[in-house]
Amino acid sequence: MNSIYDSRILNLVIFSPLLVAGLLAFLPRNEKGQIRALTLGGMVLNLLTCLWAYSRFSPTSPVEFQLEYRLAWVDDLGLSYHVGVDGISMGLVLLTGVLGPLVVLSSWTFVDERVKEFHLALLVLQTAMLGAVCAVDTLLFFVFFEAMLVPMYLLIGVWGSEERQMAAMKFFLYTMVGSVLMLVALLAVYFLAAPAGMRSFDYSTLYNGLMSANRELAQYLKANPAGDGAGLSAAALALLRYGPYLFLAFALAFAIKVPMFPVHTWLPDAHVQAPVAGSIVLAGVMLKMGTYGFWRFAIPLFPVASRQFQLLLAALAVVGIVYGAFMCLAQRDIKKLIAYSSVSHLGYCMLGMLAFTAEGATGSAYQMLNHGVSTSALFLLFGFLYERRHARLMSDYGGIAKVMPVFSAFFLIVTFSSVAVPGTNGFVGEFLVLLGSYKSNLPLWLSVAATTAVVLGAAYMLWMVQKVFFGQVTHQENLGLKDLGPREVVAALPFVLLIAVMGLKPQPLLDVIDHSTQRFVARAKYAAGEGPVDDSKVRVVVRPLPKDAVAQVAPTLPPAVPAHPTPIPLPMRPVRLQPAQPQLQPATP
Amino acid sequence: MNIPHLTFQDLLPVAPAGVLVVGAIVLLLSEVFLSTAQRTYQAVIGTLTALLAGAVAMNNAFEPARAALQGYVVLDPFSQWMTVLVCLGTALASLLSAGFLNHRNAERGEFYALILFSAAGMSLLAMSAEFITLFINLEVLSISTYALTAFLRRGPRPAEAGFKYFILGAFSASLLLYGAALLYGATGSTRFLDVGLALPQAFAQQPGLVYAGFGLVLAGFAFKVAAVPFHMWTPDVYEGAPTPVTALMSAGVKAAAVVALVRTFLFLVKGLSPEVPFIAFSALALLSMVGGNLLALPQRNVKRMLAYSSIAHAGYLLLGVAALFAPATAKGSDAVGLFTATPLLGSMPNVAASVYKGLLFYLLGYTVTALGAFGTIAALERREDETRSNTWDLERFAGLAQRKPGWAAAMAAFMLSLGGVPPTVGFLGKLYLFGAAVDAGLLGLAVAGVLASVAGVYVYLRVVVYMYMRPAPADAPAPFRHWTTEVALIASAVAVVALGVLPGPVTEWFSRAGMVFGS
Repeated sequence: MNSIYDSRILNLVIFSPLLVAGLLAFLPRNEKGQIRALTLGGMVLNLLTCLWAYSRFSPTSPVEFQLEYRLAWVDDLGLSYHVGVDGISMGLVLLTGVLGPLVVLSSWTFVDERVKEFHLALLVLQTAMLGAVCAVDTLLFFVFFEAMLVPMYLLIGVWGSEERQMAAMKFFLYTMVGSVLMLVALLAVYFLAAPAGMRSFDYSTLYNGLMSANRELAQYLKANPAGDGAGLSAAALALLRYGPYLFLAFALAFAIKVPMFPVHTWLPDAHVQAPVAGSIVLAGVMLKMGTYGFWRFAIPLFPVASRQFQLLLAALAVVGIVYGAFMCLAQRDIKKLIAYSSVSHLGYCMLGMLAFTAEGATGSAYQMLNHGVSTSALFLLFGFLYERRHARLMSDYGGIAKVMPVFSAFFLIVTFSSVAVPGTNGFVGEFLVLLGSYKSNLPLWLSVAATTAVVLGAAYMLWMVQKVFFGQVTHQENLGLKDLGPREVVAALPFVLLIAVMGLKPQPLLDVIDHSTQRFVARAKYAAGEGPVDDSKVRVVVRPLPKDAVAQVAPTLPPAVPAHPTPIPLPMRPVRLQPAQPQLQPATP
Repeated sequence: MNIPHLTFQDLLPVAPAGVLVVGAIVLLLSEVFLSTAQRTYQAVIGTLTALLAGAVAMNNAFEPARAALQGYVVLDPFSQWMTVLVCLGTALASLLSAGFLNHRNAERGEFYALILFSAAGMSLLAMSAEFITLFINLEVLSISTYALTAFLRRGPRPAEAGFKYFILGAFSASLLLYGAALLYGATGSTRFLDVGLALPQAFAQQPGLVYAGFGLVLAGFAFKVAAVPFHMWTPDVYEGAPTPVTALMSAGVKAAAVVALVRTFLFLVKGLSPEVPFIAFSALALLSMVGGNLLALPQRNVKRMLAYSSIAHAGYLLLGVAALFAPATAKGSDAVGLFTATPLLGSMPNVAASVYKGLLFYLLGYTVTALGAFGTIAALERREDETRSNTWDLERFAGLAQRKPGWAAAMAAFMLSLGGVPPTVGFLGKLYLFGAAVDAGLLGLAVAGVLASVAGVYVYLRVVVYMYMRPAPADAPAPFRHWTTEVALIASAVAVVALGVLPGPVTEWFSRAGMVFGS
């Protein structure tokens, strides 16, 4: 059953944290308890809206973007405020929503300075992240993608540890370099995808506009692989000539965010210096923006170019997996170890995606959610330890299991998830990814190399656990450490539940992302001539912009007045068309 | 004697300038009949005059493009919207000046009168369609700003800045005049319309003369726009001038000069090989974008840093101008380079409308942002520290977020907008301009521009770092408070964010700027 709320839920999902931030701005800065409580309340409210959206989301529906909402925004660019969720973004919305309250709980006592600004930044960040995963308009995505940077930059730079300013600046500039190049590429796609007057940054316009050109190009390249493009249509020719560069610009922006080897170097710094909340959000959601960007934009928009670079990117992903694992083995700093394990785990994500097989893509999507849960949990738990001891080196600990049994139990479960022990969520994702990559056209040695890293992953995590938790208590200070309090247990429990549920009963979540993976694979293969010949399987269908706004997309200018004085016509006033009214029609099922 | 027949319609384009001049005269007279020492009302008069002139210009902006006053000026939406922007900048600048001058006991009616005179010069400059008119308006604008630069006449800095600005300004004006004289010699006319008509033939006969005239006029404009390599005066003058005047110079003078440059060269390129203006503007744009951002990197003095940033922003504007002059005959098979136009789809689209819109929107964004940024600096600086030259040091911003969260948030918004980070107006402006450049196929230049802008982001973020991540020094002075300053800063901060999120009808209004006279 549809209700008129269905088309509004996502607005609530995206903007409820911002509304709470507006309320928070009125609280006096010394009322720390009230500020924390209000933020927690806001995040819980936000989680409830996410769950509401999930309850209205139908995994079996053939409609790609559900709960759509569309409103004209900047008419003359064809920009619309267009949000909607498909399977993968629904998964990420849930992940973001769940992490929200836990992040607040994790910093309840950790952050005691400038509490109000801290929570404002958290709330704004939440809005930006949810906006980015829900955006169907590419420029809207870009705006949210960039808007995430500022609060995260402040989180790292203001509340981080010693080297925080350098880490924050590095984080910002790395991301910025990628994203400005992507913006140029995005502009190029915008001009390529539609003729003047029909242009729009909407995902549907860009994808559908490039679809036939991509197909034409793929068929041409199949017939004559080294052709210079003679006889191609203008759009296909442009894609032949500039497509690889455009794809690389998109890929660079997202690869920095993932982060893939060799542009990962900002991540260890950012993670080590960030406060617990920053690390959780960074690992949990923000890194997913990179993989999500590949999934949603880079690969579907440039299927031919992504085929050309498939091997290179997959090789980089595998290098990241193995290199990340080796780096982990060499670390003495626990936070750095978890950070490098992110590089390794997200390598699996990228490998599965680049396999372009159903199993690989499913595994990749599942691995995104897994990594969000398990790595965030590691950061959260280590944050509790750090708050007590203010030390990050493994050698500062030892025998913690004796002092903090509950904490150690939690940490072990999360470690198992991170190592991908069967029965935890990590296993499902990694298994599917590796299965997908064996089945794909990628060379076997890549998959084999990726598989060996599974062993390395177990090695470095268990090694770390052994050094920190088992053996004798080597430091006097560690004897007095208190075990987890009720608030901390409440913050950690959801993670353990998620690990168990996602590991033992993955089917419901796999169902949610199923249609999305099918579409992804069909789109990735469409151009290679292997996928469905039928356009309708890959075409993006979205709700159209209300009519009068479409007319405005490119105002046809009156011809320029001739260069000599002419009789004065009547003064002209622009006809201000009404902004598009959101239609009160029932949302997509 | 031949008295030209002028109608009301002819006077319409100059009406905003008329309003500004009347306001300036009122302010000058107010100084004569003054009975109180309280002079804030003069700033209010200045602001209201500017707003009134802006309203008049906005009314004009919906008129169709045509020549007026016998072809000496033109009435077109492009120049009238520019006048609206200048008036907006002037209004904000005179509000900012009230607190600034009050703090220094230097509040005088002639200051506001000079601001209004220079605004009138900017407005007229943008609509001039004849070389002598252009030169006179340029001088009206320049002489007012020379005087404003040296307005706080005690101390070596204003005198040095004023003198330097005067010498270099006069030099550049004479370059422009010399170029105009050469073109007059080649074509026999000073009216752009006739120059444009006669140029193809003149070029065929005496290409050297035309090229020399073209180059000199371009150099003259490049000085005013502060494009690299004609930017040398900018940091010193911007640093030495009273800060609200710097704000007006960076926004208003630049806007007027860019619009006048576009108008002049729309006519001057006729007959020339299309590659020549394109490569000239591309080179200026590239040098300014890269040079401005890189030169800003080592600055610790925020005012100087913003001066270099204004050079970089001139570069982005010139990128739009280069897109406007991209040769239509570009072949699709050309390799992508810095000075080549390779339209994506092979044939050159008509980008004029989007360039004009982009230029105006960028100028709008830059006006509100720069006024706000310089306004914040003005509120933090102390006259007595100027000799120790740490009054504009980054250290001044240390810990501002804890001392004055509102001021810090506003300054952060201005910095992010200058860096082009969404959701601010600076981002939308860059989107329009770079969009036009990509559409015209200036791929190499656009990539160079965005990469240079990342260097700029580093520079702007450093201010944010100091405000939010450094502890305040014990003797940190609080920003002085004056209601006019606060009104101006709130207005510009709101505009920076609101226009970035919901530009509303503004973009549609600017779409009409595509009707440029003579294009």
